[in-house]
Amino acid sequence: MNPADIKFSPGAWLAPSVDWLNANLHGLFALISRFIESVLGGIEGVLLVIPPYGMIALVAVAAFFLVNLRAAILAVVMLGFCLLSGFWVASMQTIALVTVAVLISVAVAFPIGVAASRIKRLDAVLSPILNVMQTVPPWVYLIPAVMVFSLGKVPAILATIIYGIPPMLRLTTLAFNQVPRDLLELGRALGAAPRAILLKIELPAAMPTLLVGLNQCILLSLAMVVLAGLVGAGGLGAEVTRGLTRMEMGLGLRAGLAIVAVALLLDRLSRGALQGRRIRAAT
Amino acid sequence: MSPVEFAAAFDEFVDARLEWLSDNGAWFFDGLNDVLHAGYQAIYNGLTWLPFWAVILAFGLLGWRLTASWRFALGTMLGLVLCVAMGLWPQTMSTLALVLSATSMALIIGIPLGVAAGLMPSLDRVSEPVLDLIQTLPPYIYLLPAIALLGYGPGTALVATFIVAVPPVVRLTSLGIRMTPKVFIELGQATGTTGWQQFFKIRLPFALPSIMAGVNQGLMMAFGMVVIAGIVGSGGLGEVIYGAIRTLDIAMSINAAIAIVILTLILDRMAQSATRLGRRAVHESR
Repeated sequence: MNPADIKFSPGAWLAPSVDWLNANLHGLFALISRFIESVLGGIEGVLLVIPPYGMIALVAVAAFFLVNLRAAILAVVMLGFCLLSGFWVASMQTIALVTVAVLISVAVAFPIGVAASRIKRLDAVLSPILNVMQTVPPWVYLIPAVMVFSLGKVPAILATIIYGIPPMLRLTTLAFNQVPRDLLELGRALGAAPRAILLKIELPAAMPTLLVGLNQCILLSLAMVVLAGLVGAGGLGAEVTRGLTRMEMGLGLRAGLAIVAVALLLDRLSRGALQGRRIRAAT
Repeated sequence: MSPVEFAAAFDEFVDARLEWLSDNGAWFFDGLNDVLHAGYQAIYNGLTWLPFWAVILAFGLLGWRLTASWRFALGTMLGLVLCVAMGLWPQTMSTLALVLSATSMALIIGIPLGVAAGLMPSLDRVSEPVLDLIQTLPPYIYLLPAIALLGYGPGTALVATFIVAVPPVVRLTSLGIRMTPKVFIELGQATGTTGWQQFFKIRLPFALPSIMAGVNQGLMMAFGMVVIAGIVGSGGLGEVIYGAIRTLDIAMSINAAIAIVILTLILDRMAQSATRLGRRAVHESR
């Protein structure tokens, strides 16, 4: 038997249907693109309209009050490096991409996660799907997005959203499953409305795990946004790609270090928010 | 200093350092590249020297042995036949060879390191933040130092993949070593075991499930990275996808994506079953 004897290409079968989608649902895709681009443009505009030094000061003050002095110093150093390395605009673009993707991921994952913690059947259905989603290499998510939305920021955001959903969803379900039963029963015994139980009992009790999920979601989204530089998403990922493909190592390493700075900033701030909350809860 | 000046100075500095390194360290990096390439090539040649049906059959058998589920074995074989039918067999095997060689490197270095960190808390305090940092950063940027020193090709892909695959292996190994119940260690001391016996007969069996979990995670991280490394000419499915996306060849990118998903799912399931078997073996020996 020769390998050439059997031939079957699912891609060749699917490609016409992708073409059909592009031809017939163009309006819908254009609408989604327009929506994402305008939200992204808005956030990017806000981040860029503030002068760099003002932005650094703003983040530092916020970090000082929300977390602590160390976080504020870290923020100044990291954002300072982004500015010094000449990638201020690219860094802000990357942060805007991550912000939009994380907001949408959380908006999608949170309700589903809460529902999965209430309805065991849904959890049983979702669990294997999430397993596969978390196993598949991130690159694979970019392919369908690029097929429908071509190159640019929109496919990058969509792939990032889908990539960021599983960890957030998992940890949301976990967080709500972990809410102590006696607290819930206390709420019911007091005759609290379901909404009050959700907002005043479950949400605070679930918060630490939810913040872990948010941290995971942010870091995975950043990884994906950087990778999406390959499909023309702009930002720091595009600079790294430029460095890699043109062998301009100075450029690539500079952009790489700026990514390190952004990653550390986002990680420490989101983690710091978690710890700050714990300390406040303890006192 | 203005950003523009800094950028120019930085780039010049980096270029000069790299030039110095490639002038003076060429023997080292070339040697490293050759070793990595030879390891990868040996696995790749082994996999492609056999006829494809033999490899598929072997995978089916292995899957059946590990999971004891004939459905999984059949699915494995059908999935791999699909890879052949899509004309992506050599690329699939090349990706597999990359993953296997990078993961074995990660194990060879990661497990001893993890054991050392598990036995010496002071080493653990140093290694923990480093591993933390490695796992915080986006994997994509690990291609940069690798390509700067090793150039375009599978060697770079292997180094970057190795960096990404090592942290879970070290972490979970040291966790496993540290989790050995104190009672058993004291029992070992009371019965007068030597240090080596204590390590191999008590600590290692207890740590095995955790180590296997580390192997599994390392394998999956390696998969993610190997595919990304297509951009630096790693060969295999990653490069196929990179090329197909750049030329917007929809059919080819779908096929390559399917092949990657098949390969990932097969290896993930096998590694998980191996972990479970290891855990059961430990329970039975107790």
